[in-house]
Amino acid sequence: MKNPFSRRINYAELDDKQLVALAKEDQAAFGELYERYLQKIYSYVYYRTGNVHDAEDLTAKVFFRALSHISNYVEKGVPFQAWLYRIAHNLVANWHRDQGRRKIIALDDYVAHSLTSEAPDRLTEELEERSLLLEAVRRLPEDRQQLLLLKFVEQMSNAEIGAIMGRTEGAIKSLYHRTLLALREEMVAIQTGDLKQWSDGKEG
Amino acid sequence: MSTASESHLGNLLDSITTRLQRGDAVDPLIEQAEDDQGDVAEIVELIQSLHTSLTPVNPGQEYAENLRANLLDGRPGVAGRVRQMPARLSVAAILALFAGCLLLMLRRIFGSDSAPDVPEEAVATPL
Repeated sequence: MKNPFSRRINYAELDDKQLVALAKEDQAAFGELYERYLQKIYSYVYYRTGNVHDAEDLTAKVFFRALSHISNYVEKGVPFQAWLYRIAHNLVANWHRDQGRRKIIALDDYVAHSLTSEAPDRLTEELEERSLLLEAVRRLPEDRQQLLLLKFVEQMSNAEIGAIMGRTEGAIKSLYHRTLLALREEMVAIQTGDLKQWSDGKEG
Repeated sequence: MSTASESHLGNLLDSITTRLQRGDAVDPLIEQAEDDQGDVAEIVELIQSLHTSLTPVNPGQEYAENLRANLLDGRPGVAGRVRQMPARLSVAAILALFAGCLLLMLRRIFGSDSAPDVPEEAVATPL
């Protein structure tokens, strides 16, 4: 339903909580939330799926699901941002389960486009290094991938990450340390061909 | 490594990451980490690689505009809702729809004679 007073409201000045309250009845308020979080959700989904097509498809599903459930959303210690990421995380997890694509390593287009060196030798080297890193990241268990993406792509604090992942700040810090060590091991394993299989279960 | 020193290193690595993301100098922290724990240079290098490799990605402008229009021009219709479902449910929904259409067609072709018309009096509410 369109809010008859929506033209008078400057949505950009409102915080998420106020926008969510309005968005239950006013689509323009949801539009502002969409503008705020589209790039973040898209980035997150893109790194988790590894290709533009699925990133676009799943991002759309995240926002459609958020729109259809926002009338039932009540903030009980989970801010809107965390709620949105949880939707994204669940959809990505379903996608991996349905498609069995966990081992696909794509991201080639992005890796190639994001390189900065102009010298061909250095470019090739950078491409290889980055491909290796992203391959190692994508071989980690889901919760560790999620942590790295939220920390580096979204540059979130440990408290914000904790709200999304349902853990304490201390647990996130500890998981981050263990993730870095595991990532280093994964990179060595990829280079030596001595790859191990992670169990998919979450760890504490 | 003891739990205390592990926790200390964890804190240091977290601080290094935060400072790197803010664009602050990390050398003093790296020196401190190396004094305390020995070789952490490799992990710090890994953090730097993550910092430069995992950067935000923008969706295409046309995609963003179309999605916004689809979202805000109305609540999702039947097709939109089917699209939002997990793949297995989408297939089941499409099959159910197809089976329903087929059943209606078959009834129309073979069952029109046997379906008695309901007399209007029978459904009319008496005054």
